[in-house]
Amino acid sequence: MRTPLPVLVGIAATAVIGLVLPFVLDRGGLALYIDVALSACVVVGISLLMGFAGQVSLGQTVFFAIGGYTAAVLVLNDYTTAVPVLNGVPPALVGMVAAPVVAGVIALLLGIPLLRLHGHHLAFATIAMHLIFLVVVQQSEPLGGSVGLMGIPGLSVGPFDLAGHQSMAFVSLGVLALVMLVAHNVVASRPGRALRALATSETAAESAGVPVGRYKLLVFALSGAFAGLAGSVWAYYVGYLSPEMFPVSMSITFVVMAAVGGMGSIWGALFGTVLIKVVVSSLGTLGTASGMPDYAPAVMSYAVYGLVLVLVLLFLPHGVVPEIRDRLLPLLGPRRARPPQGGGSTPREAESGATADSEPVTSQSGAGVQPSGHGAPGSS
Amino acid sequence: MLRVQGLARSFGGVYAVRDVSLDVADGETRGIIGPNGAGKSTLFNLISGHLAPDQGSTELAGSRIDRLPPHRRAKRGVSIVFQAARIFRHMTVRENVMVGAHLRASAGFPSAVLRLPSHFATERAIRELAEDALARVGLLEWADSNAEALPLGQQRAMQVARAICAGPRLLLLDEPASGLRSQEREQLARVVEELKSTGVTIMLIEHDVAFVSRLADRVTVLDLGSVIAEGTPAEVRADPKVITAYLGAEAEAA
Repeated sequence: MRTPLPVLVGIAATAVIGLVLPFVLDRGGLALYIDVALSACVVVGISLLMGFAGQVSLGQTVFFAIGGYTAAVLVLNDYTTAVPVLNGVPPALVGMVAAPVVAGVIALLLGIPLLRLHGHHLAFATIAMHLIFLVVVQQSEPLGGSVGLMGIPGLSVGPFDLAGHQSMAFVSLGVLALVMLVAHNVVASRPGRALRALATSETAAESAGVPVGRYKLLVFALSGAFAGLAGSVWAYYVGYLSPEMFPVSMSITFVVMAAVGGMGSIWGALFGTVLIKVVVSSLGTLGTASGMPDYAPAVMSYAVYGLVLVLVLLFLPHGVVPEIRDRLLPLLGPRRARPPQGGGSTPREAESGATADSEPVTSQSGAGVQPSGHGAPGSS
Repeated sequence: MLRVQGLARSFGGVYAVRDVSLDVADGETRGIIGPNGAGKSTLFNLISGHLAPDQGSTELAGSRIDRLPPHRRAKRGVSIVFQAARIFRHMTVRENVMVGAHLRASAGFPSAVLRLPSHFATERAIRELAEDALARVGLLEWADSNAEALPLGQQRAMQVARAICAGPRLLLLDEPASGLRSQEREQLARVVEELKSTGVTIMLIEHDVAFVSRLADRVTVLDLGSVIAEGTPAEVRADPKVITAYLGAEAEAA
């Protein structure tokens, strides 16, 4: 798979922008930057989960919170008596390693019963998981109950104090880069191909020997680990954690970001997160600007945000990035052309003229062709 | 190779397959014919594991497989080409076929994430297997096309390539030739003959009796979920029960 030059240029430009922004942003801008980078980690996981495994999760915030609480509990308590090996290792690092592991393992365990469900049932079950999680945290003494955990020290590794806004922005960028790299490596591989295959047809993937159930579970765990890692950095950054920081609406927003950016697209996840976060943030600023009526903030944040969502899903139903990719890539490389959307049932004559063997075929059995496939990514 | 005994499966009280028993020898090509609704595809789904039987047993090379999920049966060497095109979307023809070779390698998530040498070795090996299979069905020049963009004939051929790529011991072909032009049929027949010569056991559902007669060593005729006749293509064609149940019905229709 060769990457077309314009795509490489785009990736390089994004990386440069990501590296330059922390130097030019003010404090408010840096807070938004960190929020975007960490949310994008969660959204990349959701995009993998929904785009490839065909599974909806409206409870991804749970794993974000689990990562945060894991890191917080570790840095606030002395665990070295229990695990002497870790004596001398910076506690913040231990927290950042433990967070994705704990979140991933919990996702794996929760996924065993949850992923037996499909579609709406799974979506509701994950919301239920979220609500149960909040109740459990509120009642849990070691996690600070409904008051929460206070005084989580900022990130510092040895002599390096990384707690400042600017250095946390770079840490967040690094974490996001790691998550995107892992996601990319998974997608472009033998297991990744199997995942992309099972997103269209579980039946056909199974016949090729893909253990569909196990692969779905592993993607769920991986998405949980991404969220957990981001959660740990978030905990260090904000310095306190409480259950009301993780409302159900947060989980829904993550899914919206993935849908807007494009399911099953790593760059789409980043784009969707940036778009939604920036739009919501600037609408908030606009709504509270002087001279605006009292109802402006509510109208701005809900109505306009809702309108953006409706417009994107109406006109770019596959998400922004896949739509752009599908419209531009055929211009770059005609042999990777995609048939027009709409899923007609006649065999299409693609790339006519490319091969002498492409005369039209008459279908004898109407059921013979199903270009639209089953359980397409993002259709659930 | 394959021994099916007393296999039965009903849907809402109606038997799709009722007490089917058959033995397919190692390396044999077995044609399965019968009118629409005879239970042919259901039988294949029972063998591949996509449906669970109500009764009966399935043995592959002497060991029971009827309780195994489809991917475990695939691992034992059962490969199926479905009647309806099942194309993996947003993937090229080569990638579609590479999925077929999933079991020919074992590099998993860790080696993919860490980009270990085993990842690259696996990718290379699977790619070669896929290209070899594509060459055999005459699709190599389409390798980089998007699979959904292929005409029907090529989609069928691609699925055959995907199945071959798995290196099957038992290959189930569900009406692979329907909707193909004569030239494509000829190519498909040659691919099947070639597989046959390498010792693959093949089961072939097909309406075209001439096509089956050319390829099959023996033919099993199903009607209303039961076996009504079995024998060489010539024997079956001469069987009065078959003529009434199947050929007769078709002759009337035509």
